[in-house]
Amino acid sequence: MTIRPLEGLKVLELAWVVAGPRVGRALADYGATVVRVDTAARTDPARVVGPFPDGAVDYAHSALWDNCNAGKLGLALDLTRPEARQVVLDLARWADVVTESYASGQLDKWGLAYGALSAVNPGLIMLSSCLMGQDGPLSRTAGFGNVGAAASGFQVQVGREGAEPIGPAGPYTDFVAPRFSLVLLLAALDHRRRTGEGMYIDAAQAEAGIQFLAPQIADNAATGRVAEAMGDRDAHFAPHGVFACAGHEAWLAVAATSDAQWTALARLVGGEALAADPRLKTLAGRKAHEDEVEAAVAAWARGVPAPAAEAALQALGVPAHVAATSQDFCADPQIAARGHLILQPEPRGGVAVVEASRFRLSATPARLDRSAPAIGRDTAEILRDFAGYDEATIAALAEAGVLR
Amino acid sequence: MATGFLSPYRVLDLSDERGLLAGRMLGQLGADVVQVEPTAGSPARRVGPFTDDPAPDNSLYWSAYASAKRGLALDIDAPAGRALLLRLAAKADFLIESETPGVMARRGLAFSDLAQVNPRLIHVSITAFGSDGPKALWAQSELTLWAAGGALLPARDGDGPPLRISVPQGWLHAAADGASGALMAHFARLRTGLGQHVDISAQTSIAEATLSTVLAEAIGDPRGRPPPPGTPAPIRGSSSWLSLDGRVEMALGMGAIGGASTNALFAWMRESGESDPRFDAWDWLGVLAQIQAGTLTPDDLDEVRAVIRRFFARRPTAELVREALRRRILLTEIQTARTLTESQHFTGRGLFATVHEASGPRLLPHAWAKAPGAFAPLTPAPGIGQHSAEVLGEWLDLDALEVAALAAERVIA
Repeated sequence: MTIRPLEGLKVLELAWVVAGPRVGRALADYGATVVRVDTAARTDPARVVGPFPDGAVDYAHSALWDNCNAGKLGLALDLTRPEARQVVLDLARWADVVTESYASGQLDKWGLAYGALSAVNPGLIMLSSCLMGQDGPLSRTAGFGNVGAAASGFQVQVGREGAEPIGPAGPYTDFVAPRFSLVLLLAALDHRRRTGEGMYIDAAQAEAGIQFLAPQIADNAATGRVAEAMGDRDAHFAPHGVFACAGHEAWLAVAATSDAQWTALARLVGGEALAADPRLKTLAGRKAHEDEVEAAVAAWARGVPAPAAEAALQALGVPAHVAATSQDFCADPQIAARGHLILQPEPRGGVAVVEASRFRLSATPARLDRSAPAIGRDTAEILRDFAGYDEATIAALAEAGVLR
Repeated sequence: MATGFLSPYRVLDLSDERGLLAGRMLGQLGADVVQVEPTAGSPARRVGPFTDDPAPDNSLYWSAYASAKRGLALDIDAPAGRALLLRLAAKADFLIESETPGVMARRGLAFSDLAQVNPRLIHVSITAFGSDGPKALWAQSELTLWAAGGALLPARDGDGPPLRISVPQGWLHAAADGASGALMAHFARLRTGLGQHVDISAQTSIAEATLSTVLAEAIGDPRGRPPPPGTPAPIRGSSSWLSLDGRVEMALGMGAIGGASTNALFAWMRESGESDPRFDAWDWLGVLAQIQAGTLTPDDLDEVRAVIRRFFARRPTAELVREALRRRILLTEIQTARTLTESQHFTGRGLFATVHEASGPRLLPHAWAKAPGAFAPLTPAPGIGQHSAEVLGEWLDLDALEVAALAAERVIA
């Protein structure tokens, strides 16, 4: 029997969409009991965007939902109903950790802010994770991922040089914030282990995102410079770009990270003449003639299928990788060797596919005990075993339409 | 008195620019993080951006991600240096490194070697593709890893090439996962008394930044492959707009995804007498059905956008943001490095800290949450060998004479 790092840790998750639930997923991977609250009264956007089996929109089988919520237990509870408040309080009494990601002020409206929860459980650790934090002039900022990316400085970092920026694809702070929340939550658990102290954590997704721009913040303060998008170029390397290969929509990322790599790359794409061109021997020279350098790579790439181009460059020790589609990613032998894609049988037939933990522990590996829950899959067991309700109480709540 | 939730713990951080952030995060939370670098200086000191000051230590990348650490310059490739590193490892709770797979083993510093001197040690490896597998030794750069993780392809401006984030991000995702993995292994150690190896693959860390679209092919969603040639582009106008004095972000919401926000915007435009009567009766919650039925065309939407563009262009950003907050319009200011540092919101919440390096002050984001007692005060990134004597004294009880001897042999700087 493998020891699991978080065995016995009890988590009530009132979070939704991505940034909050990804934290709970990591806790479940390593043995925590995570109760995910969900409701038919308000569809989680993670159920709406897919991907879906065979591309057929089906809110019960969104891979994003599965990936965020595998390993958790599912409780159906409509928090807008007054009766739901007592259920949350009773589960907060049971829990070590409560997480939530509603807009700032929302839980308070339901009488479920930290003060109410810690009154029934003083040792509770509560993690709130909204876009801009619980206080401050912009705390009520609402929006989807594009708003988070803009509010944390990333919108202007993606675009062609000199053109209007397009911003990152997807809700970028949703990808960054869970890492910071998880580290802080684990540190808080260790602090509680040593001191017995519960606490409230007011995490702002934008503030996590800004950690990934720390050098640019320092640069602005020190020099006044404002970092802007520069296509796929990089101040430290040339060539450094993404090139169209033979065929339809096949792109190859290429970077020469040393002069020697350039010489090898140049010999392949332009022969001895290019490799020997004295103007291009140094990074400074290649930056001064960057259009010409990129044109040489582009002309070569255009005639070669992407996998062959990737192999030719890797054989020379030049960093290159196809810009992976999902098809490429799922067929990547490295992804297979790492066991990164996990197939989970679905109780109702078929399989769900989720990603493995983002960190691999040699002695106490992650494990998924169950698939992501359908709405309310485990409601009765949770209310009986964790909240201590008898059958009549559960039936009355169900009858009143609270457990939906 | 040490402060911060992780103040009881010691971290030996051997990473370079690929892994610096992991130790920084633990250091921000109060761990005693000793950044070990070659006596000639870490390669991360040569990563930009740089200050205008032509001093040797002018990397702001280093300033940012080596902050919250102390500095020890140590030649671990010299036998005496390796021996010293093993003595330090015996005293550490965590060791973080970001070498290409195999490099630590060739130095005699693989996990198994380290476990011999300290079975409780947690060893975090942050690598491009993970410690094993067919691509473990592939040539890589941040751009090619971003491509391998599936995060590059979706960012497109028309039919141009996929666009990366111009501030390199890939290794930061991996290093942040390294910090999580370290603490998860710490909870295992509380039960077993033993350390273990934590193995991070930047490729799979980066895949987090795809919103799970990397899974499409595995379940047969056709979005896993490029659309066939000739597929018309989806209706997608820009979501950024010019204000009178800057730029704001607002997707033109429709249906369940933001339709109420667009209704609120049009209500404001009507109140201001600046709407267009053609659009007054539209209900943006139901507009998707009209588009599907063909009663609304892309040309109509272009005209709507033109009306909104005029409305925004007449108003300063501050007014747009204020009304958006009041009216629940999903709009925000497009922040830059400059506006972030000037932001009353973030400065008021205590996000930024100023630290003082030998060459001058550095403004850095620090506490990413409000959590009383969690974060230690931020300390500046170290100069080369700045804390060598101090650390060897505290961790190993070496006295000044012993330190001087090591320095004379060029084992430390």
